[in-house]
Amino acid sequence: MMRRPADRLARLLACGLLAALATPGAPAWAADEQGSDAQGGGDETAGFEEDWGDPWAVEDQGLTWTGFVEGGAGLRFQEVEKLRRLTLGELRVRAETSHIRESYTVDFKGDLAWDEVRESLDGQLRELAVSFTPLESVDAKIGRQVLTWGTGDLLFLNDLFPKDFISFFAGRDENYLKSPSDTARISIYTDPVNIDIAWTPRFQPDDYLYGERFVFWQPAAGEAAAPAVARRAEEPDTAELALRLFRTVGSTEYALYGYSGRWKQPLGVDAQGQPRFPRLRSWGASLRTPLHEGLFNAEAAWYDSRDDRDGDDPRTPNSELRLLLGYEQELVRNFTAGVQLYTEHILHHDRLLANSPDPARAREEWRTVTTLRLTHRALRDTLTSSLFTFYSPSDEDFYLKPSIAWRRNDQWLFTGGLNLFGGNQAHTFFGQLEDNSNGWLRIRYHY
Amino acid sequence: MRKTSGLLSAALALGLSAALQAAPLSDVSEIVDRANLASYYAGDDGRSEARMKIEDAQGRTQLRQFTILRNDHADGGDQDFMVFFSRPSDVRGTVFLVHKHVDSDDDRWLYLPGLDLVRRISPGDKRTSFVGSHFFYEDVSGRHPQDDEHRLVETTDTHYVLESTPRKPGEVEFERFVTQVDRETFLPMKTEYYDDQDRVYRVMEVLEVEEIKGYPTVTRSRMSTPLDGGGTLMEFRYIEYDVGLPGDIFSERYLRNPPIDWLRREQD
Repeated sequence: MMRRPADRLARLLACGLLAALATPGAPAWAADEQGSDAQGGGDETAGFEEDWGDPWAVEDQGLTWTGFVEGGAGLRFQEVEKLRRLTLGELRVRAETSHIRESYTVDFKGDLAWDEVRESLDGQLRELAVSFTPLESVDAKIGRQVLTWGTGDLLFLNDLFPKDFISFFAGRDENYLKSPSDTARISIYTDPVNIDIAWTPRFQPDDYLYGERFVFWQPAAGEAAAPAVARRAEEPDTAELALRLFRTVGSTEYALYGYSGRWKQPLGVDAQGQPRFPRLRSWGASLRTPLHEGLFNAEAAWYDSRDDRDGDDPRTPNSELRLLLGYEQELVRNFTAGVQLYTEHILHHDRLLANSPDPARAREEWRTVTTLRLTHRALRDTLTSSLFTFYSPSDEDFYLKPSIAWRRNDQWLFTGGLNLFGGNQAHTFFGQLEDNSNGWLRIRYHY
Repeated sequence: MRKTSGLLSAALALGLSAALQAAPLSDVSEIVDRANLASYYAGDDGRSEARMKIEDAQGRTQLRQFTILRNDHADGGDQDFMVFFSRPSDVRGTVFLVHKHVDSDDDRWLYLPGLDLVRRISPGDKRTSFVGSHFFYEDVSGRHPQDDEHRLVETTDTHYVLESTPRKPGEVEFERFVTQVDRETFLPMKTEYYDDQDRVYRVMEVLEVEEIKGYPTVTRSRMSTPLDGGGTLMEFRYIEYDVGLPGDIFSERYLRNPPIDWLRREQD
């Protein structure tokens, strides 16, 4: 079942790669020269039609393939045992297309990437889904797709769709923070409220750290390190159901959320001492509205950890309450700042401490995180500088993510940045990642 | 509401044929209002395809292609816009939604298909580059006439020349702008923006106007920045008015699922 789409994907991607590599940058530079010539002439409109290579009169027929070829490299700032210095080393080809018909649309997005860190060639089907409108007020999208909801900026409360933290920490494009899942999404639009239902027949966890690329806290060893064997936890063959009710009244967006499935990372331990995904149910709400000169958002979620409702099982996470407040505003032209205050409150924290094998390193009752995002856009959005900072006053740790992106033209994009982790203690959320601090560069050619 | 807009467009149409003979208007707010209607409120709704060629000071070019849908709540009043990008490939599938309000800040959203993310844009930054071009977001959806003080400085044989100064100078990058409004069509044909050293640093010029369904419509215009030599050429084609767009198109539903039927060109 896996084989045939993968073969087809590989063939398609190989074609795209050949096409893109056969003319390395030639179209872009040629267009530049053409532009200079046109500037010399008196007629501003000369060459406009030619620049496109196709007349307007022709609407897209059949499948149009687009995508990119990207090379990326990233290095850890220090040596760690068992892992390479390389945190990002890949050549990636993306192919995308849409097949649009009267009554349905099929979207495809696929990647083929050589990963030098793991020394493997990986195909990833990011999207292969059919969208249709079975009833006038109902939309359906069925198949592999990326899903996002909620109001947080890089903080997720009610968005329990899978995330790829490995990509995020390694410096891949922000789009890769969201992993696809095989989901049936049904959206029902009614006057009082709109309803989104996302049913994922087979649980899709996050791409969490498991030891091939990054170190993390090893309770047994009492230090942050790569585990002796890099291994993912066994994924249960159970379904997930996510629900959202949403409505916009005037300028304010309201939403209610529900989720039934599992913790997205293997936070539990089974009887054999192996990591497992405990059951999770969550309920939440959010709003987003203009305030003063900017945008305000608030979101809350209650995580009901169904395998440890009493909070006395040290092998299963307790239930918790998550709260978020955010505000974003353009401070001066092209310079935007966003701040968020976020907290996780562990329920039955006293029982957690009483049963914990290592109470000194147990999670704080209130974990607080503040974030600041600064974005500056220059040269008509072609040069974007950004700094995202996570700082936790309760854990005394941080994660700084500065980056700069230069879009040279419609084809070439150059991006570079840092992932800087640190903290006072080696076991906290960001503190455990300190030795993973890295710098990365990516060059992308869009075709 | 419909009736009012019908009357207004009838008045506008009458104005067109009579304008050359008629005595010039002297009421600046009437000129500004009619220019606003002519530029942004033709018909009760509209659909059009657009292409932009962005050229920087070094002569490097970039291209954008998109389809715009528009729906008016009332002529001169609130409006909804939706912009669907089809090129270049890195913005393909991106959708921009504006609920334009006359009495308050516009609500704006951007749909990013790679993340399936509906991102809300904070209200402040309207005078920033529209998808990398020399046009601003505000040029696409229209600057509110009441945001500036207007003065009629000259009436030529063909144009009204207006000078506008911002009511809130801290919110804009210009000191003033001068607009030449066509006396016949009320379309602003050229706008020059002056900086604090009284230099023209930004110029909008209309290069081509076509009459579509009785509405004189700008089909080709250019925004340039003379101080650094760059500029963006914008072309509109396949323009249709009064196509009967349902109001609920301008919502999150259609950010995620583009309304294919309304994006397709009219079948001849």
